[in-house]
Amino acid sequence: MNGAPGPAGPRRWRPAACAAVLLGGLALLGPMLAPYPPDAQDLMRVMEPPSASHWLGTDLVGRDVLARVLAGAPHSLGLALVCVVLAAATGMTLGMVAANAGPTLRTAILRLADLMLACPGLLLALLFAGFLGGGIWPMLIGLKLSLWPHYARMAEAIATGALRENHVEAARLAAFPERTILVRHVLPPVLRGVMPLATLGAGQAIMSISALGFLGLGLKPPTPEWGAMINELMPFLAEGFVQVAAPCAMIVLSVLVLAVAGRSMGGSSDAREHG
Amino acid sequence: MTASATSLAGPLARLVLGRLGQALATAALLATLCFAFVHALPGDLALRVAAARVGDERVTTQTADRIRRSEGLDRPLVFQYLHWMATLARGDLGRSLVTGQPVAGELARHGAFTLRLGLAGWLLSYAIALPLGIAAGLRPGRWLDRATTALAVTLASLPSFLVGLGLVSLFALTLRWLPPAGFGTTAHMVLPALTLALSLVALSIPVIRNAVVEVRSAFYMTYARVRGLSAAAALRHHGLRNAAIPVVTFAALQFAYVMDGFVVIETLFNYPGMGELLVTALIARDVPVIVGAGLTLGFAFALVSLAADLARVWLDPRRLREGRP
Repeated sequence: MNGAPGPAGPRRWRPAACAAVLLGGLALLGPMLAPYPPDAQDLMRVMEPPSASHWLGTDLVGRDVLARVLAGAPHSLGLALVCVVLAAATGMTLGMVAANAGPTLRTAILRLADLMLACPGLLLALLFAGFLGGGIWPMLIGLKLSLWPHYARMAEAIATGALRENHVEAARLAAFPERTILVRHVLPPVLRGVMPLATLGAGQAIMSISALGFLGLGLKPPTPEWGAMINELMPFLAEGFVQVAAPCAMIVLSVLVLAVAGRSMGGSSDAREHG
Repeated sequence: MTASATSLAGPLARLVLGRLGQALATAALLATLCFAFVHALPGDLALRVAAARVGDERVTTQTADRIRRSEGLDRPLVFQYLHWMATLARGDLGRSLVTGQPVAGELARHGAFTLRLGLAGWLLSYAIALPLGIAAGLRPGRWLDRATTALAVTLASLPSFLVGLGLVSLFALTLRWLPPAGFGTTAHMVLPALTLALSLVALSIPVIRNAVVEVRSAFYMTYARVRGLSAAAALRHHGLRNAAIPVVTFAALQFAYVMDGFVVIETLFNYPGMGELLVTALIARDVPVIVGAGLTLGFAFALVSLAADLARVWLDPRRLREGRP
């Protein structure tokens, strides 16, 4: 999984494309599909079981759980996708720069990546989110910081291999500008290698964001983020199983979709370990 | 024997020193980040320290000024940074802003709890993953292999707090076999350790399985069978040691995930370990404790990586001779 990836036919991309459309669509359209405003309270109907008017029941202040789960999609899913795209873009850029640069810059970038990899991932996100008081930006920065080295290491390895290929040398001899060579001959294999990692990484990011929300260190409760919702509803687990299970199921299903898509693209579920 | 020992001493020393250097660099990076955070927080730092020392309502500008002078907060940032690093380097982590206790003592107490939980979870995870992974790897493609792979993928898609919630609702709330949270007795340890173990199993089953599959088709295994060893003896004498190499490497990497798990699982079960300490301190903005816990976790992670490197060298000394740690 770590070396140059094999040829990728269109078939192998289909599951990932489906996952992207499904989850991306949910993140974008979720709030519009919500049957009620996500923060409309009804204190007369607190912790009601599922009914025709409230399919997934109501929560501790009588808000519709289905509406909150749907409205939470941009926070839990959208944020994770943005985070991984940012981290992959940063990592790929730095990795390709490192592969193409002189020994000093290359060593500097790789050492920095190693150093960041030596910190447990969630610890950085926790420190950022905790010190800077939760919210979207500290969490995004913290997660991105902990994720980019994986992509940089992989991009560097693949790009170094690609730069040694005969057709790249031919392109050099034909006096193609370095930019063109990078975009046409180095970027495609790097992308092929990074895509499965990023798909699995998106699942990881969803779990991290919901874990931070659950700990009360990510997005704060009035926001319908899934982890924060679980944190809010957990004391009522005995009365409202469905209400707690709904955001849980959303997290698990999203991560599972991404895991299946990532594996079908040739990433193994442990690809992130060897980043 | 002696010759090979001396020729290996150089690379071994380089490996150990390299890892220790990395541990120190990680600690320095985390310390620098924390310093930056403390100074980036909005508001007057001297006022905040004063509020933590004498209580919010008794803070005056005079107290803040006195603290500013006594703590050197009026000096240039570079001096403060060097002072901060020097203090930490001496092992002086200061006192908790909330309890007033020395941070080092708190860390030791909570760290012992975390070690106990981590060890229990880790052993439990291998008690589950080793039989399943080896059985799956010995017959790749059969139903058991497919079932364990499905189990591993599903478990890997479950955040640890969800696994914990599921176990609590099943064993504590529905069956009422075990206490839902807290600490003290062995019964209290079961659910957190099991939660931790299940998150670890998700990652280690595929690694063990793949290692066994690879070893199974290796030449030396065929050769051992040709020499007349039974399948079981060949696996025992030749297979397992080779299969252990990627598994040991991986066991250390897992600790990064164990650490994430600690924070979440300890908070979920209200278990007084390092992760719970860190989260409580983050919510209370107890800076010395945050810094101490963060540094300890980062440093521990680097030490575990070193231990994994050493174990790998012990299992496969060729790596060292060929200069690939």
